[in-house]
Amino acid sequence: MTDGATALIELDRLAKHYGPIVALAEVTTRVEGNVIGLLGPNGAGKSTLLKCLLGLLPYRGRARVLGLDAATQGAEIRDRVGYMPEQEAFLSGMSAVEQCTYAAELSGLPRTEAMQRAHAALYYAGLEEKRYQPIDGYSTGMKQRVKLAQALVHDPALLFLDEPTNGLDPRSRDEMLELIVELPVRRNCAIVLSTHLLPDVERVCDHAVIMHRGQLRFDGTIDELRGARGRDSELVVEVKAEAGRLADALTAAGATCRVTSPLALWVNLPPHATSRMVFEAARDTGLQIRALGVQRESVEAAFLRVIGEASPGSPGSPGLPGGPS
Amino acid sequence: MSTGQIHDLGYKRYVGSRRSVDTRWMVIMRHQLSTAWKGWWRFKAALIAALIATFATGTVMYFLRNELFRMLGAISGEIVRFSDGLLPFSLIWYCKIGFLVSLLVCSTVVAGDVQSGAFTFYFARSVRPRDYVLGKLAGLGILLSAIMVAGPVLLAGFRLGLADNLDQVVALLPTLPKALAIGALGTVIYAVVPLGFSALVSNPRYAMALWAAYDIVIGGIAEGIGHVGTSAKAVAAFDLPSALQAVAYDLFGMRIARGGITIPTWAAVTSIAVHAVLAIAVVIWRVRRAQQTGVGGAS
Repeated sequence: MTDGATALIELDRLAKHYGPIVALAEVTTRVEGNVIGLLGPNGAGKSTLLKCLLGLLPYRGRARVLGLDAATQGAEIRDRVGYMPEQEAFLSGMSAVEQCTYAAELSGLPRTEAMQRAHAALYYAGLEEKRYQPIDGYSTGMKQRVKLAQALVHDPALLFLDEPTNGLDPRSRDEMLELIVELPVRRNCAIVLSTHLLPDVERVCDHAVIMHRGQLRFDGTIDELRGARGRDSELVVEVKAEAGRLADALTAAGATCRVTSPLALWVNLPPHATSRMVFEAARDTGLQIRALGVQRESVEAAFLRVIGEASPGSPGSPGLPGGPS
Repeated sequence: MSTGQIHDLGYKRYVGSRRSVDTRWMVIMRHQLSTAWKGWWRFKAALIAALIATFATGTVMYFLRNELFRMLGAISGEIVRFSDGLLPFSLIWYCKIGFLVSLLVCSTVVAGDVQSGAFTFYFARSVRPRDYVLGKLAGLGILLSAIMVAGPVLLAGFRLGLADNLDQVVALLPTLPKALAIGALGTVIYAVVPLGFSALVSNPRYAMALWAAYDIVIGGIAEGIGHVGTSAKAVAAFDLPSALQAVAYDLFGMRIARGGITIPTWAAVTSIAVHAVLAIAVVIWRVRRAQQTGVGGAS
């Protein structure tokens, strides 16, 4: 977490090329928030961005993390940032306590402090007595917890979590997300969550950064992402009977409708119209409305729209009103 | 495991000072030492073997101190006594023990870290490639010097103790730095060179096999070529234990009187230096590469 003046991440025309391949194309943004989802398809430039932010790759332009220049203060940044990798990153033969203590010491903490914080971080991650056992024998879920603990152990102000729920069963995934969402409150740190699992983003993130082909496609709150069209124009309407007749009336008034059952329909209102239009159509046709809800776009649908790959069949997109919301 | 409830031992922001980035290599060095110290067969058994070798050599040195060591002869023609000749001769044993440690500990270091993903662990923190290389070299150097340096230096000290009078003590004093120098060269051979081999492949078992094959097979072939003729003697310096032995005989002013080959000292020193430089270069190359590809996945 940062003070109001310092952004978590500031990028100014950040560019990175691998020969002829453009990994980052002059990205400019200022990232704020508590839990930020870093989204993008494979090859979008997320990994390259992460390496640049940690000061591991040279780049053009300017990148600042927690107010520190990534080009010249990489080591200072890595002392203040925690990183939970997607792949296994363990030292064979070590127990979780040993690994976390070593991680804290490598981040500059004195040995005694490192040991205390290793125990606290592992306890927070839910490893309890298992923390004394060699990591080699851990399950996937326990390994994910160790990775989270070793990212936390040196008391970072910002955490990069790379696919933290990969390979977890539904219960472990819930528990991991619960730990993540509590971190800003309990550990006073902000989180950048890089993941392909958009329901995870929907559940824990308050901000999103979407990248595609090295370019920044979206940066803002999750609400802004889902309501990026500026208003709640998609509705789900339930009627007592004859949904088709109401659909006909609304279509005649300029709306786009799809009857999803004899008693329900999805409505996309025309520009400048409000839900009042639905009530007026019901009154005119003598139909009784039982429920009316805003059909909000899912993060997944919004993501696909932002990267320009939305299709009529996409879940939650206008073509599939019954999709997850 | 957690049952959904978050356990928290309380949290306070760390406000103390952090260890300077320039000293993080010491943490890696200490970790290398503690890793090697775990279990009996990686290092402790070798250390005990080195102690036994030192004790046995010292015992022979004591009981046969005035006997002639006919296998060795001084260039001047004076026959060497056991008490003087045993020290450079004992390197044969330290080399064998050093090779075992290098095989079990040093030759798997970088490959093991590549395989386990440890470079991601290191470089996501404020660890630089040079910190890693320095920490590993220092850790392995301390381990190997406990065998390659401590043994010869102890024997040199014991030889001083066997001196008949003060004049002889003074005359024998250079034995100590000579033993130290030989031990340091031996440490370079068995700490640095296998570390280089460990950086050549990504599988620790293959790295171990590669180092063993190089030391035993290539070294054996090089030594064999050295026996062919005078002009081929320098080739034998590719066999690192023979090169070390050659430097030791030269430092102590001895030569092998019967049978063995005498490798030119320049060739022996050059061989050790080239091996060490190449090994360090390979390690640096591998570690730098790992730093740029490890964190955040490959690009």
